[in-house]
Amino acid sequence: MLMLIALLVYALIGTAIAILAKKRVSSDEEYFVAGRNVGGIVAALTYAATTYSAFMMVGLVGLTYIYGVGALGFELYYLVGTLLLLSYYAPKIWKLGKERGFVTPGDLIADRYGKNAARILALLVSIALIPYTSIQFVGISFLLGNSMSFEAGVILSAVITALWALLGGFRSVAWTDAVFGIFMLSMALAAVISAFSMNPAPGDFSRLGELLYVPNSFWTPVTFISYTLPWFFFALTNPQVVQRIFVPKDEKSLRRMVVLFGLFGLIYTILVTLFGLQLRLLSEAGEFPNVTNRDLVTPTFLGLIPEWLGVLIALSIFAAAITTANSIVLTLSSMFTRDLLKSRSVLAGRLFVAAITAAVAVFAIQKPSYIVDLAVMSSTILLCQLPLILGVIHFKAGGSLSAGLTLLAGFSTAIALYYTKLTLGIPVSVWVLIVSFAVFFVAAILEKRFKT
Amino acid sequence: MKALEGLIVVLAMSVPFIAIKSADMTTYIYWSLVSAVYLAYIAVSRW
Repeated sequence: MLMLIALLVYALIGTAIAILAKKRVSSDEEYFVAGRNVGGIVAALTYAATTYSAFMMVGLVGLTYIYGVGALGFELYYLVGTLLLLSYYAPKIWKLGKERGFVTPGDLIADRYGKNAARILALLVSIALIPYTSIQFVGISFLLGNSMSFEAGVILSAVITALWALLGGFRSVAWTDAVFGIFMLSMALAAVISAFSMNPAPGDFSRLGELLYVPNSFWTPVTFISYTLPWFFFALTNPQVVQRIFVPKDEKSLRRMVVLFGLFGLIYTILVTLFGLQLRLLSEAGEFPNVTNRDLVTPTFLGLIPEWLGVLIALSIFAAAITTANSIVLTLSSMFTRDLLKSRSVLAGRLFVAAITAAVAVFAIQKPSYIVDLAVMSSTILLCQLPLILGVIHFKAGGSLSAGLTLLAGFSTAIALYYTKLTLGIPVSVWVLIVSFAVFFVAAILEKRFKT
Repeated sequence: MKALEGLIVVLAMSVPFIAIKSADMTTYIYWSLVSAVYLAYIAVSRW
């Protein structure tokens, strides 16, 4: 009952924010990138809330609990990689976007490689991200299992996701992200304090043994690279965050976005992994069940703490999933509208928001087995764009044919190797990068000769 | 220059795999500190 009340309050607050934002929607540029007029703090919080999904308080906590400190290294590798890439590429991409009116990541690609490359990209991105978004709905619906049926949880998630994006577009998504991003961080802190207070010896980490160093029996160098590499390039390959580079109102806001996002990410990552280690210490002390399924570590904890606190932390996980889902849905809608249809209609954008959310919900309810595979592979699949994005900044070679072949070859490599497992002990993500870059450069040479 | 910076960051983050093997919070604190220092560098010196 308390969870339902909390969800109602959450939905009302978010909807009120979305309605406030709605007043300012007047064009597709306004709808999809808030007219490129977002301040640094809101831009940082929407970047953070979009990036950090329910995975943090469920998946990363469980990963730390079961396999130890390597989970912190994996997540911080992502963070420093993002800071490196954003601090170097974001000013260039932001400037290009402002000068040439880019609204979608596909605009960046189309400007250099032609419209067909942007169309292929929109399709590949949707194949990677619709299942990934479905997993967000599946995860939080399981979390709400004591309060409502699985199907009701998915439908509630879908309605909130679509409603806020439909009402005010990017601005309402960004404003709700900002408010609930702060809530996510606060509840992670509350979870850590709660776990510490339950532990009679919270500082006695030495009993965790090999969980405190790398490599250990799980975090071998190959496993670590497999986890880390796709996320290292996340800032350039995931369209929902690339699009956020276009939105700061000036360079000062862009800088503030990058730095404050880094601060948010560092604090959130430290809190979440400290929480996982503390729960493991509790297990070692016999104060917490020995959980073997990593996705059940946080739900088990929520069942042992005061109900009001468990509800608030569960709500923060729900909010983390929604802030990620509605950002992805809005970005996919912009790519379908502008890159596939070549339309500038806000109505078309809104229709795509509704249709994509419905598709995500249908996938989530049916739970076909390949959804999990595609969701796990999403960041690896998206790596196939990297040569194209770096090419915009660094390379003169490469045109429409190179871009199309690169995307298709990288995507096919990811799918084929994931299912056949013929990787020769090398992570799939490494293969995708090798094949994508090789195809890009070979095709670029051939394309140049063919033209001359 | 940026490639060198990237290499230094990756190598610094890889140190626990080579040089730290203690069953305490050394690895945890090291990774947190390297990330914090790099964030501070980005905030102060990059733009």
